[in-house]
Amino acid sequence: MLMIICNVFIGWKWRLTSKLSRGEDLMDRTMKNKTAILLFLLPACILFIGIIVVPIIMSAYYSLLDWDGITASTFVGFKNYAEIFTKKSIGFPGAVKNAFLLAGLSVFIQLPISLGLALTLAKGVKGEKLYTAIFFIPVIISTTVIGQLWLKIYNPNYGIVNMALRAVGLDSWAATWLGDEKTALFAVFIPILWQYVGYHMLLMYTGIKSQPEELREAAMIDGANDWQIARYLTIPLLKPVLQVCAIFAITGSLKAFDLIYVLTNGGPAHASEVPATIMIKQLFGRNNYGVGSAIAVFIVFICFFFAILIKKAFRTEVDK
Amino acid sequence: MSRLHGIKGFRGTGKITFGGAVTTVILVLWSVVQIFPLYWMLTFSLKENSEIFGSNVIGLPHNWIWSNYTTALQSGNMFRYLLNSAIVTGATIAITVVAATAATYALTRMVWRGRKTVNSLFMLGITIPINAVILPVFLILSKLHITNYWALIIPYSAFALSMAILISASFMQGIPKELEEAACLDGCNIYGIFWRIILPLMRPALATLSIFIFLQAWNELMYAVIFISDSKYRTITVGIQNLSGSFTTDWGPIGAALVVATFPVLLIYAFFSSKIQESLVAGAIKG
Amino acid sequence: MKTGIKLKRLLSALLVAAMLVSVSACAGTTATTDTTIKADTAATTTKATTDAATAETTASTQPITLTMWSIATESDSFNPAYTKAIADYEVAHPNVKIVHETFENESYKTKIKSAVAANELPDIFYTWGGGFSRSFVESGKVFAIDDFYTDEYKAQLSTAALGNATYDGKLYGVTYTTPISLLYYNKAMFDKLGLAAPTTFDELKAVCQKFLDNGITPFGISVKDTWVTAMCHDALTLKSVGPTALKDVLTKAGGSYNSADFLNADTKFMELVDMGAFIEGATGLSNDEASAMFYDGTVPMYITGSWMGGSIMTDAANPTDFDVAPIPVLNSATAKITDFMGGAADTLMVAESSPNKEAAAQAVFELSKSISMYAYLSGSGIPAWKVDYDDSTVNAITAKEAELAGNATSFTLWFDTLMEADDAGEYLANLQELYVGNMTPQEFDEAMAAQLEG
Repeated sequence: MLMIICNVFIGWKWRLTSKLSRGEDLMDRTMKNKTAILLFLLPACILFIGIIVVPIIMSAYYSLLDWDGITASTFVGFKNYAEIFTKKSIGFPGAVKNAFLLAGLSVFIQLPISLGLALTLAKGVKGEKLYTAIFFIPVIISTTVIGQLWLKIYNPNYGIVNMALRAVGLDSWAATWLGDEKTALFAVFIPILWQYVGYHMLLMYTGIKSQPEELREAAMIDGANDWQIARYLTIPLLKPVLQVCAIFAITGSLKAFDLIYVLTNGGPAHASEVPATIMIKQLFGRNNYGVGSAIAVFIVFICFFFAILIKKAFRTEVDK
Repeated sequence: MSRLHGIKGFRGTGKITFGGAVTTVILVLWSVVQIFPLYWMLTFSLKENSEIFGSNVIGLPHNWIWSNYTTALQSGNMFRYLLNSAIVTGATIAITVVAATAATYALTRMVWRGRKTVNSLFMLGITIPINAVILPVFLILSKLHITNYWALIIPYSAFALSMAILISASFMQGIPKELEEAACLDGCNIYGIFWRIILPLMRPALATLSIFIFLQAWNELMYAVIFISDSKYRTITVGIQNLSGSFTTDWGPIGAALVVATFPVLLIYAFFSSKIQESLVAGAIKG
Repeated sequence: MKTGIKLKRLLSALLVAAMLVSVSACAGTTATTDTTIKADTAATTTKATTDAATAETTASTQPITLTMWSIATESDSFNPAYTKAIADYEVAHPNVKIVHETFENESYKTKIKSAVAANELPDIFYTWGGGFSRSFVESGKVFAIDDFYTDEYKAQLSTAALGNATYDGKLYGVTYTTPISLLYYNKAMFDKLGLAAPTTFDELKAVCQKFLDNGITPFGISVKDTWVTAMCHDALTLKSVGPTALKDVLTKAGGSYNSADFLNADTKFMELVDMGAFIEGATGLSNDEASAMFYDGTVPMYITGSWMGGSIMTDAANPTDFDVAPIPVLNSATAKITDFMGGAADTLMVAESSPNKEAAAQAVFELSKSISMYAYLSGSGIPAWKVDYDDSTVNAITAKEAELAGNATSFTLWFDTLMEADDAGEYLANLQELYVGNMTPQEFDEAMAAQLEG
């Protein structure tokens, strides 16, 4: 089955690229070298089709079933999709709202912090290399550790947050951060946003450092200060990287799972629920393979939608 | 360049010094916040449960339980698991980097119909919550009788592809077309251009990419648990998770195992980030 | 540049050190493990030879390897029992080699389901009886082992104990332990206030009030790990509804959740919640964190499964302070103090796809019996198989647990294992809503009835 798909795909590409009109110059011909194109794309395509495309199609099919993953299944059409939006006890609409909230915070708070740090470090401060190394550390540390750490930080009795509040006399502000429906969501967001600041920062930093130094020197000679250089030169040139960061930030937020699972698992009472936690519960906890797959397909769709949207939004700058 | 005309001149040195001090304070504070998890992991790896859970959460251990390290390393085969993780992750990085850079080059620089569509299709890879497709992927791999390391290397590479292509594309866009044209006129064929011009200029990107792929593959858990049953091939994340008891957990040894598992990551990061620095310092793009 | 080099040098040195430590640790281990196994094997050789003599003589002499999956990881309290049981079996059956792979509890649930779905099961695998494995059996992937349940085994392990491994009248698995839910309490703290273990709900409430009056929160609990809350809630419901009626409702065999005795249990449960009997912040605490508060004497009571007995010995500062009692009765017309939540959930099954399923089926019974014995002796669990060996070395709490289980009049499997996965998931989600006050007891009962009957 896999072989057939591969062959069809390859054949299609072959046909498209086999025509080479006469009046083209050497460069064009080199860039249209069909064998090379095929060769370059082949490994990626095989992996991609086998592990990404086919499973997505399979999941889409599963989403139309009433199935426990193991015994026989019944075809139910779009019932699962209707169910996730109508059945209150699943808590899906609220979870989607939470995911979008996280995505928004990620883009408007996390990315600017990463950008600010990247700009400051790339400009050249003392200890630049040390700082870049340190700022990346939370990304390296496994989510288990980050999760357990924040569980201790938020602990109502001995956690740093409450202890600090009590120390300055703000006893009434001390709360069960992860256990209170009102605070659980934001309590969970903070570690997520914090952990990946270094990730985006590294991308931006490398991007800035790759920009030609001459441009910056020219601007400084012209009399521009740091802020103006950043605003009119560095950031515009950084647009491709910023686009990538935005895509990662948004899709990452919509798919977020690991930390939330460790900290609250979506609780208490769905307060910090996100689509991925519901999906895992349905798939593996409650053996509702159809419903779980429907959620997965939904996540794929909205992530894809936003990824394309961002690409288009940035495209006018990038295509020259 | 026209935007830079008419911009006011430099402020005096006074402002920069003040700005510099504020900057340093912010950077140092942020460093403390960032390094705290590492410190915490190191300290709780030397404590026992009672200290971790109440009496002494943040401070240095009162009782230095070095035996946590021996417990962690003796249980199962931690060293073997580290090796397995290294093999799986190393192969994933190698395959992904090769496949992704080649594909990115074909997608962004070469000319053919349908390339924008395929480019968009590759974005599908980052939209999938990977735990959702565990069963289909497992079914595919089991039908193809793929076991041992490849059962992890293949999915990991596939999932890293989209991210790798995105990152490579954003860096490749910064490479001027003139360089390729010059090489072309010099008589290079397409493979030569790719190998001699593009790849060397991508070094900072490749190093960054390697770090990201490394992190994704090294810390992955669900696939590692489900796809690998023979403890000969088990990876370190599964090994650490096995230190959790069914109903009660001794967190000290887990911390110890985590410290041991994090060291290679820190080393790899140190290695690659210095490579990034070197290639950036050397001047990524020569005029 | 200098900092970079220093950092790298330091990290490299530490890594080398870590490697040296691990290599020497590994080298040391193999020696110790070998001697431990030899010592144990010597001690049990007498028993092994007797067993071998009465063991089935139809065992083929072809060398075979059986792969077994379980959740008895090295840090699990059952691991030594498994290891010894396997060693005994290999001595008694020299042609059989058992490869034992272990996995962590939570992720194992996903792993085993995926393995069943993809038909990648090992010869023998651990699973949970009741609703959890129903779909495995229905899919035909499990080998029925009625033929191997000989009369000799029947005398040592009753059919009743195998109830949760029996589906549609056929036997699909063997068990080795029967954990039960119990009320663990800090006897020292009780004595200080002149209190005794409560046997009725009113007594329980009085005990709670006394502690509260003295500024102590009575119960430790975790709502984040909702199964802990379920432990408490299940037990109170059992003691209000009674075992037969409860089982019927949960397995959809008759009756409704929306009825008087259930409402009584839920109302009383919420009385405890509302009076502040449970630790504050339970919604944000994991089981580890909540239990820690019990072990260090912050809270005097904890309702959970009998595995806590073993943990008290290792994790509590003063193990002798602790004692264990049955859950108080809410409705003496329907339930007795000797009715218990729990029973045999830990099950070993044989895969239908195994090339050596007969050998595997023989093995699971023997292994089960040995695990039952060794686990009891080490205080890890209550034995399911008959105890006809010297058990004087068992610690006090485990011995008491075994005694209580031995005199039980009924066992009801915990809700989240007894019910089908989807119902169980709905139950746990609703329980959280009930605890935090988003649902009234009446609404909870109606929701549960809707789920079970819908």
